[in-house]
Amino acid sequence: MTIGQDGKNDDDMPDFSDVRSGASSTAPGAEVVQTYEVKSGDSLSKIAKNFYGNGNAWKRIYEANTDILKDPNKIYPGQKLKIPPKA
Amino acid sequence: MKKLIAITFALPVMGTLACTKSEPPPPTPAPITVPATTLPAPLSVTTVTLGTSIGADKRVAAPTETFGAKDTIYSSVETAGAGHAKLRAHWSFVKGEKTAKVDDTTIEFDAAGPTVNEFHISKPSGWPKGDYKVEIFLGDGETPAATRSFKVS
Repeated sequence: MTIGQDGKNDDDMPDFSDVRSGASSTAPGAEVVQTYEVKSGDSLSKIAKNFYGNGNAWKRIYEANTDILKDPNKIYPGQKLKIPPKA
Repeated sequence: MKKLIAITFALPVMGTLACTKSEPPPPTPAPITVPATTLPAPLSVTTVTLGTSIGADKRVAAPTETFGAKDTIYSSVETAGAGHAKLRAHWSFVKGEKTAKVDDTTIEFDAAGPTVNEFHISKPSGWPKGDYKVEIFLGDGETPAATRSFKVS
């Protein structure tokens, strides 16, 4: 099952959950921030495992999103989380 | 006596006047040249190129709009102007009128002049065949500064 951008089930669309991405710039001091839209069944540790290969790195994601997350155990589909670069 | 006092005081004054008169006029100060104030040009996206690899300069070596299932897809984005830049690449899969988000990555920097930036995506399990697009947003705007469509075949 794939969740579309609107958060609704979109079974005829492919699954892009394993997409890897990155960016860089010739400008000195450039900072790359990825965003991830929370899907049904996600947790911060699952997202951290996906991006960093380590579920214990969930704190990095939580700390980058304290403006929208008050409790690391409560994330909701459709929330857009900032994913800081891998340390 | 009065005449002598008058002469005593008058002579230095006359001497001073005479000396002042003989001095050359002070040099005219050179006009101060104030450089014209030019505001830096606002940031803009000038070029977006897609390809399977980039060089050290972040530019795509061989531009293409058709990719294979196992390719890493690069988008090289050049900007002009100066100032704080927030560039966002939003990659989507397009099927008819529907789109599915593939990835969304933002890069922020302070540009002193032209910059070249690259965004890339890969999918270890392989890209599904079909139509895709990448939209490049500048700042927090909702209208893309540039859009490039591409295919995976």
